[in-house]
Amino acid sequence: MTIDHLSENLTLPDSAKWAFTTRRVDRRDVLRISRAIHLAESGDLVLAQVESIGSHGKLQLACGRPSELYPGDLIVVACGARYASDQFEGVAEIRRDGADLLASGGVVGTLRQRHAAMKMPTRLRPLGLLLDQDSRVINLARYAMACPVEGRPPVVIGVVGSSMNAGKTSAVAALVHGLRRAGWRVAGIKATGTGAYGDFNAYEDAGAQTVLDFTDAGLVSTYLQPLPRLEEVLCSLLSAAAAARAEVAVVEFADGVLQRETAGLLAMPDVRGLFSGFLFAAQDSLSALGGCVALARLDIVPIALTGLIARSPLSLSEAEQATGQVVMSREALRDPAQAGVLMNVMRQPIRVGSAA
Amino acid sequence: MIDPDPSSDDICDETGDVQLTGFRLLRRDRSSSGGLACWIALPDRIDPAIAPLVAVHGIHRDARTQATLFGHRVAEQGRVVIAPLFRYRHWRGYQQVYGKRRADHGLLALLDELGATLPIDMSRFDLFGYSGGAQFAHRFAFAYPHRIVELHLLAAGWYSFPDDEPYPYGLGLPVSPIPGFSPLLKASLGHFLSLPIRVYVGEQDNVVDEHVRSGAAIDRQQGLHRLERGRRWVNALCELAQARGLDPDISFQLLPDSGHDFKTCVERGGLIDAMMRTRSALLHV
Repeated sequence: MTIDHLSENLTLPDSAKWAFTTRRVDRRDVLRISRAIHLAESGDLVLAQVESIGSHGKLQLACGRPSELYPGDLIVVACGARYASDQFEGVAEIRRDGADLLASGGVVGTLRQRHAAMKMPTRLRPLGLLLDQDSRVINLARYAMACPVEGRPPVVIGVVGSSMNAGKTSAVAALVHGLRRAGWRVAGIKATGTGAYGDFNAYEDAGAQTVLDFTDAGLVSTYLQPLPRLEEVLCSLLSAAAAARAEVAVVEFADGVLQRETAGLLAMPDVRGLFSGFLFAAQDSLSALGGCVALARLDIVPIALTGLIARSPLSLSEAEQATGQVVMSREALRDPAQAGVLMNVMRQPIRVGSAA
Repeated sequence: MIDPDPSSDDICDETGDVQLTGFRLLRRDRSSSGGLACWIALPDRIDPAIAPLVAVHGIHRDARTQATLFGHRVAEQGRVVIAPLFRYRHWRGYQQVYGKRRADHGLLALLDELGATLPIDMSRFDLFGYSGGAQFAHRFAFAYPHRIVELHLLAAGWYSFPDDEPYPYGLGLPVSPIPGFSPLLKASLGHFLSLPIRVYVGEQDNVVDEHVRSGAAIDRQQGLHRLERGRRWVNALCELAQARGLDPDISFQLLPDSGHDFKTCVERGGLIDAMMRTRSALLHV
């Protein structure tokens, strides 16, 4: 999108804080600004000023550290939607009278609803859309990694869960670590969700040789994005992992298997066909059973259960009895022998069906 | 089976490098309290393209002899031999791999360290084990088949059979929890069964000595002595592989004029010749 009539030259002060979601942006491209903030679309770069501190008191910086926010701070973030059942639902819309910091990774939009335990979001005053020298709006998609040739690692392990905070990221990090210790070249990938460095850093800390998320493919958030676009993003992330010679990719899907985009992707036979197998992270035994039933409708039988449920021996036992599945704790996934055994099961591609 | 007296560690307590024909025999001390020491036969000219041989000792822990005898035969190929030393004090039950002190973790850490300091790729290697070392080697290979080019086992006293008996006798759930054991182990065997696996036993190793674990259940499952147990285990693996539609490269071989002694198996039984024959050509990784 080009905005000529409302744009003006801009020199961003050095003190402006660039959010994690903008980490791939070439800052030299930012030369102009438009006040037509209401035209913002998902992925567009936004300059905003912090008005009041709410639920997110820190901004995750592009350099990988959190920065305490103060009223008056200038921040560079990306317009985007958010779906987080324990926090906010918000959309990629910005009004002239103000906007909400929907995620500390640097996502600005308009709050639609929030979890009862959440405070109101940090409030922002949008100053404008950032433009290049030709007055084109700068969108994260411009900086998506070059898509390498088609391909994917020989083994692709999906990690899905019952909900947000079911233990998916911990499971991914633990499995990445175990596989790495067993001698595999591992990629950690976040396929869906909202741009933030928590999961990204967790995969890297666990020893993944390659770490990627949807922001590397040019999306700030996957919520409300068209499914074909998300499939394309997933394929490009897997291609990048293969190009980096990963032997196995561990791919996390955000939220629960009933969430719109996660459910939509898993319902696509071509997407399921990308995976050698799945782990299911659950908080308790009933959600483990429900998750297995939901996955069975998609012709997916998880290789094992994991997540918070593994912390409770009684819940674990209930889940194993109810589902017939093995529950693997974080410690088990970290163990190279157990991760290696899991890998060997996954290398026998017989678990995932191809329901029409 | 009971490990021999701890004083058997002393056999490896010599220090200093030794230059032998075509290779140096090095002793590498453990780098941490939980680490492994090892003997290394380092060829004068290393071929980094040839997979190293990792040779695991029996319960007498004579890692040096293994490194030396293998070194004499494979140094001219530029092949590195690594003989880890599972000291009695720290690694009493190393044969069973899993447990409070994890022998697999010890070997993985050693290989990572050697890979960082020697000009060789430690990502894949040939794995040899003798007696208790053969027990370790096949159990290690269950979980890490991707690290192994060929698996060579000499005269294990007993095996983990690919059946539903409780681990470590079979691959079923252990009677009591064992740290590191995965209930998915049996379901994961496809790649293990696709490995080239060679089991060797001296033709006179058909007696029940004090080191052979015996009892009604294990004798019924595995046979009475090492020779019978090795043969049965190979048959069991081949049957399972074929049932899964695989074409197994798994074989059993008697070594002539040999009993259970490693040196005799090498010098009279032709062990290393037999291992070399397995490689129709040197396998480059």
